[in-house]
Amino acid sequence: MTEPLVLANGVTRRFRHGDGVTNAVLPASFTVRDGDRIALIGASGSGKSTLVHLMAGLDQPSEGALCWPALGPRTSLRPEQVGVVFQTPSLIPTLSVLENVELPLLLAGREAYDAALAALGVVGLATLADKLPDDLSGGQAQRVAIARALAVCPRLILADEPTGQLDQATAALVVDGLLAFVSSSNAALVVATHDRTIANRMNTTWIMEHGNLHVAPAEAVA
Amino acid sequence: MIRLWLKQILAERYGRALGTAIGLALTVALFCTLGAFVTSASGAMTAHAVASVPVDWQVLVAPGADPMAIAQAIGSAAPPKELQAIGYAESAGFSAVTGETSQKTGPGKVLGIASDYYDRFPGQIQLLLGSLDGVLIAQQTAANLHVGPGDLVTIERIGASATQVTVAGVVALPNADAMFQAVGAPKGTAPQAPPDNVLIVPMPQWRTLFAPQAARSDTVRTEFHVRLDHTSLPPDPSAAFVQVQQMANNLEARVAGSAAVGNNLAAALDTARQDALYAQVLFLFLGTPGLVLAILFTLAVAAAGADRRRREQALLRLRGASLLQLIRLAGAEAMLVGLVGIMLGLALTQLTTLAWLPAGGAGYSLVWLPLVALTGLTVATAAFVLPAWREASQSTVSAARAQVAKKTCPLWQRLYLDLVCLTAAALAFWYTANSGYNIILATEGVTQVSVHYEAFIAPALLWLGSSLLWMRLTRLALGPGRAAVRIAIAPLAAGLTRIISASLARQHPRMAHGVALVALAFAFATSTAVFNTTYNAQSRVDAALTNGADVTVTGTATHQIGQLLADLRRISGVADAEPMMHRFAYVGSDLQDIFGIDPTQIGKATSLVDAYFDNHDVGRTLELLRQTRDGILVSEETVSDFQLQLGDTINLRLQDARDHQYHVVPFRFIGIVREFPTAPKDSFLVANASYLAEVTGGSAADIVLMRTVADPSAVAAAARTIVTAVPGAKVTTLGETQALISSNLTAVSLYGLTNIELAFAILMIGGTAGLVLALGLSERRQSFAVLTALGAKRRHRRAFLWSEGLLIVAGGTILGLVAGLGLTKVLVSILAGVFDPPPETLSIPWMYLGATVAGALVCSAAAIMIVEAHLEEPDLEMLRSG
Ligand SMILES: Nc1ncnc2c1ncn2[C@@H]1O[C@H](COP(=O)(O)OP(=O)(O)O)[C@@H](O)[C@H]1O
Ligand SMILES: [Mg+2]
Repeated sequence: MTEPLVLANGVTRRFRHGDGVTNAVLPASFTVRDGDRIALIGASGSGKSTLVHLMAGLDQPSEGALCWPALGPRTSLRPEQVGVVFQTPSLIPTLSVLENVELPLLLAGREAYDAALAALGVVGLATLADKLPDDLSGGQAQRVAIARALAVCPRLILADEPTGQLDQATAALVVDGLLAFVSSSNAALVVATHDRTIANRMNTTWIMEHGNLHVAPAEAVA
Repeated sequence: MIRLWLKQILAERYGRALGTAIGLALTVALFCTLGAFVTSASGAMTAHAVASVPVDWQVLVAPGADPMAIAQAIGSAAPPKELQAIGYAESAGFSAVTGETSQKTGPGKVLGIASDYYDRFPGQIQLLLGSLDGVLIAQQTAANLHVGPGDLVTIERIGASATQVTVAGVVALPNADAMFQAVGAPKGTAPQAPPDNVLIVPMPQWRTLFAPQAARSDTVRTEFHVRLDHTSLPPDPSAAFVQVQQMANNLEARVAGSAAVGNNLAAALDTARQDALYAQVLFLFLGTPGLVLAILFTLAVAAAGADRRRREQALLRLRGASLLQLIRLAGAEAMLVGLVGIMLGLALTQLTTLAWLPAGGAGYSLVWLPLVALTGLTVATAAFVLPAWREASQSTVSAARAQVAKKTCPLWQRLYLDLVCLTAAALAFWYTANSGYNIILATEGVTQVSVHYEAFIAPALLWLGSSLLWMRLTRLALGPGRAAVRIAIAPLAAGLTRIISASLARQHPRMAHGVALVALAFAFATSTAVFNTTYNAQSRVDAALTNGADVTVTGTATHQIGQLLADLRRISGVADAEPMMHRFAYVGSDLQDIFGIDPTQIGKATSLVDAYFDNHDVGRTLELLRQTRDGILVSEETVSDFQLQLGDTINLRLQDARDHQYHVVPFRFIGIVREFPTAPKDSFLVANASYLAEVTGGSAADIVLMRTVADPSAVAAAARTIVTAVPGAKVTTLGETQALISSNLTAVSLYGLTNIELAFAILMIGGTAGLVLALGLSERRQSFAVLTALGAKRRHRRAFLWSEGLLIVAGGTILGLVAGLGLTKVLVSILAGVFDPPPETLSIPWMYLGATVAGALVCSAAAIMIVEAHLEEPDLEMLRSG
């Protein structure tokens, strides 16, 4: 068996603000491996985004050990191997759709144009390449964000409520795109969502409750 | 509600409020400082004019009138500080015998003065040789008669026998024009030339001498010389002029025709009020763009937070605030920011005026306080209330983001308003330049002064057209000219060149405004600096002509300094010293200065330029003079007065050193000279020194011109010790002469003005760069968070900021410098009246411009770094919450 992509042991994340402390993530231990399709389900404010950011290496745990045995140390993670789709609209408004998708490739110093166009094709938006983000609908924008995450051919895709602002039909299209990519590349996929129908299309479900992560036993997956 | 709102402003939005207040402070300070400069310049000009007049009034007593009554009338019309009666008597001529020869002059004047006249009216009489106790003889008369202290001079009285006096001293009469003016002559008559021959006699002796001549009352007159009390004069030259004129009118009314006033003080103030008007016009021309820039800057800062304020306002409206309430809130904000800005601005003004205005000048800024307060509050209102009203009265709460430009280009650009403005400016300029007008029309003696304000049209249109053109050019550079932009930012862009240039192109309104603001600041700084340098260079040209060389040594007719030439050449720091003869020659009945030069050598000691000669060729003119032994260069005035043709023989009468008599000498007219070192402005002659020496029987040089390679004042000091042996010899430097003759304008303030404008321009360039980058900071923060999440390193994030900064600052600098030079060219032509002589080319202060560019770059870099620091910690919050 290959090394795990993410390995967490007793990871917590606390936020201090003024007089109080928010425990966004209580001690959590989990493993993510190639080919995993994980739905991270939980109510709003339960700590999903915080956990996704930790897995992406964008944030650091307050306690516990978090590592990426198959990917290397935290600093070298992005954007080569981990593609992140953020909860908020995260396209740069002054760049065209194509340029937005090219951006992570250019930042990594890689050939960008063809890969970006191909990624747009995967989410079915190649025709919108020259449009500006402001001219897109919410669903189109989110699909462009997904294309941007896919463009670098990551081994791990982290999507934070990618369908939060979409209607059912569009949401299904977006998930189709994600699944199509992971099935062809054997990448792992973690989707934070509170939508059961999406969770049902993954093969593992993790449940987040007030910062507590309930991970189904790994054997159940296999 | 208002208090709550203000508290919120202070707590949350103090950044923008402070930025706006600072912009406002700059506006107020610039306005106030310029105002203070104009006011203090006027005051200084009045003081300068007053100080330049040794005798304020010369009151001529009509024949038969009672002098005591006149003196009393003067006392009641304008209580004088000094009042003395002077006797003026005509003489048929003077003569003297020296050695074997006897000399005789034409008609002359004999003055009778009280013994304390020199002390009471300093500057009227300068002692050159001998003593002031006794009979004094004017320098030129002494030369004509070949006499000095101790010699006898015969005065030919009119209607009485000749009489003899003994000369005690030789004097110069620097103020002779006014001293011998025809008081009471009807307006419009040509001013009388001062007499060539003058003797000055103590009053008791004068009375005795001319009592026998009293029967001829037309030849013996009394004048009162008056100094007025200057403390009551208003500081403004125009007002002072009017007051002095009214006092004189009052006196003339009191004495009812038995006296006439020669109003020297009013004449000096008349010139000063013209200069003062020039100064005001100059400040308007050079300062207005700065003010407009400061106001635009303030508005731009206030607009930087437009998105946020729009959202807040929408929220308030949702909670039921009425339009009126919203406007009151904005008004309160404007008031608060306005007051803070005005206070800061006044504090800044105090600093700048203390640093750059002469002592006491700082107080002048307070005169402008009401106007400044009004301006400040108006700008603040325009910055806050107007947008609030516009937003609130637009029906919906649109969240349209201004970051990405709409495809359509602005109306002015589609109408080509920039090119229209520039064309109109060119036409207006062509019209003004060709109408042969003078921007300021002050008819001598007339109280009203008129300014041709239509001359402002061309520069105003030029400024407007250039600003619009800058924006068009920026858009062009970001659009069709993208390739060039890519090349420019490539070194900074860390592999993101294509994307960054595309991103900037989509933000072209912000970029265009940024470039235009920076260009405006640069054009402002450049035009002031170039104008100022050109002005100073011209006053230097003027001084160089007057002084003749870096250092000039002048002897007297009786004591020439030519024999000291070898010693003068040996002074360290002297590159070369060349002698020049200075004699007088009669052209017909007109006595003119004639200069004898060595055409092959003179250029070593002084700079001759093409413009001095009618044929615009120094080399050819001097070569022609060298080849023509008896050649002579004649001034334009003489050529037209005497209808001379090139090649004509001119017969001049020159004094021979051997018999001191005037003899006719033929010269060949070979060229027209307009200006010559040390020569007077009107008419003079230039000939070969060798020929002049041959025909006058003496080669002694009266003037030595010295070119220095070291500090001229040190050379002058050394020269002074050498010439102490020669009585009456004078050593002058270019710098001293410049200080002496430069008009009020330079003396007062152009230097300070330039410094102030430099400081403001640099601050505003840096501020603009920072401002443009800080615009939409919240959107930018989000973009930066995304960039970081996508793997952007620090250098990538910087690439975005610095490319943008580079384009704005470099683009603005280049456009601004070019436009600034063009604008100065126009200003110099329009304000030609302040230049004497008008400049042929602009003088460009490279050092100063370099300093401005460097200062702007440093300031902009600092501004970019501040923005960068604000964006340093990518905010994950932005990516988390919806
Ligand atoms: N940067 C932060 N500072 C303070 N509190 C935070 C921060 N990020 C998240 N939180 C808090 O942590 C909890 C979990 O937030 P989040 O991970 O965004 O939940 P979810 O994505 O499931 O809605 C919330 O109570 C939130 O307020
Ligand atoms: Mg979330």
